[in-house]
Amino acid sequence: MRQKHRRNSGQILLIAAFIMASLLLSAQLYVFEVGKITVETDSNALNDFVLGLRLGSRHVVIGSLANISNGGQSNTLTSNLQQWSSIVGQQYLLGKSILNYTLNDTAPYSSGIWVDWGTSGTGVSSAYANFAYRLSDKEVVANQSYFVNVTTTVLIESRYKILSLLEKQVNVTINVLNEAQPALAKQITVYYRFLDSWLVPDETNSYSLSDYGNGTYIASFVTSVSLSDVEVSVHVVDQRDIFTQANVTSTQI
Amino acid sequence: MFDQKGQIRIFEAFLAVAVIFGALLISATFPSQPDLSKQKSLASLGTQALMKFGINGTLGNLILQENWTVIKTSLDILLPIGVSFNLTVYDENLQAINNQAIQNTNLLGRETVSVQYVCATQNSNVQFFIIRLQLAWTR
Repeated sequence: MRQKHRRNSGQILLIAAFIMASLLLSAQLYVFEVGKITVETDSNALNDFVLGLRLGSRHVVIGSLANISNGGQSNTLTSNLQQWSSIVGQQYLLGKSILNYTLNDTAPYSSGIWVDWGTSGTGVSSAYANFAYRLSDKEVVANQSYFVNVTTTVLIESRYKILSLLEKQVNVTINVLNEAQPALAKQITVYYRFLDSWLVPDETNSYSLSDYGNGTYIASFVTSVSLSDVEVSVHVVDQRDIFTQANVTSTQI
Repeated sequence: MFDQKGQIRIFEAFLAVAVIFGALLISATFPSQPDLSKQKSLASLGTQALMKFGINGTLGNLILQENWTVIKTSLDILLPIGVSFNLTVYDENLQAINNQAIQNTNLLGRETVSVQYVCATQNSNVQFFIIRLQLAWTR
């Protein structure tokens, strides 16, 4: 009888030991989970930083394209990105922060820039750069690659109808696009060719410009160009200060 | 006799464990260490506010115009209620350029977290600024 009691108390002791062990393990698991949350928040902070870098890189490319399209030097993009890369590299003192960039040289781009202001009714100002960011210290190594492509496109169509022997009414439909999406223009200037010079239509030409609020504009004016065709050029500055122009020859309605 | 002794020992063992865990629970409530997750989320809030502010180049333009009042008002709107901030704008040579404080309340004596953000302006003459935003919970 005594031996049986001893066996029972031993079992209870074992159960108690298991309970204590499970309590200790659950406490350990809790500490581990808390540690995981801290690592996740660290990762979020890094993601936030990289998002900030992407945004900054985009601003640099937009600003550089605005400069180049408005007559600035073609190496503006390179020099601005060099400066940007250097500043980003100085931001992390506990390790290495390196931002490398390469400019797109695949046709139609050259040194990251594509400017095509032809006579087909389409005008393009574009910049394209690839970025590779690497952050490394004793605890973490992070690599992020991304690209920035900034493109302003202007599409124009022009038609005219003869009002009288000496007068034609010209209608120009203008579509402004940013990255292939409709975008608003900051400034639109329409020119038409008269003899050897380009003229800007004004009140004397009954000039009007309708804004449809969705990136579509219709310019209308009356001209006394005697030739059968009317050449039109539209100069657009978008909301990002990027300049683009498109040229086309009007066709009769 | 053996049974009673064993039960008492088990009871004592449980009591000891309860005392230890009780002590651990009580010590966990002491503010001996900053709440890292709370501080990290505050840093994230600050970074996201700055990114929202700068997404269309607005922040860069306001810095160029030295319009510190609008920057302060915008941060007041972008950051949640209960967050105090102090923002300093540095040029590329790390010289502070804001000649007036951009803050909603004084952060002295508060547990702050600092966020650094590199800002590039989105105009044809690209300029670079380093922005340091210090944040603290007011309660």
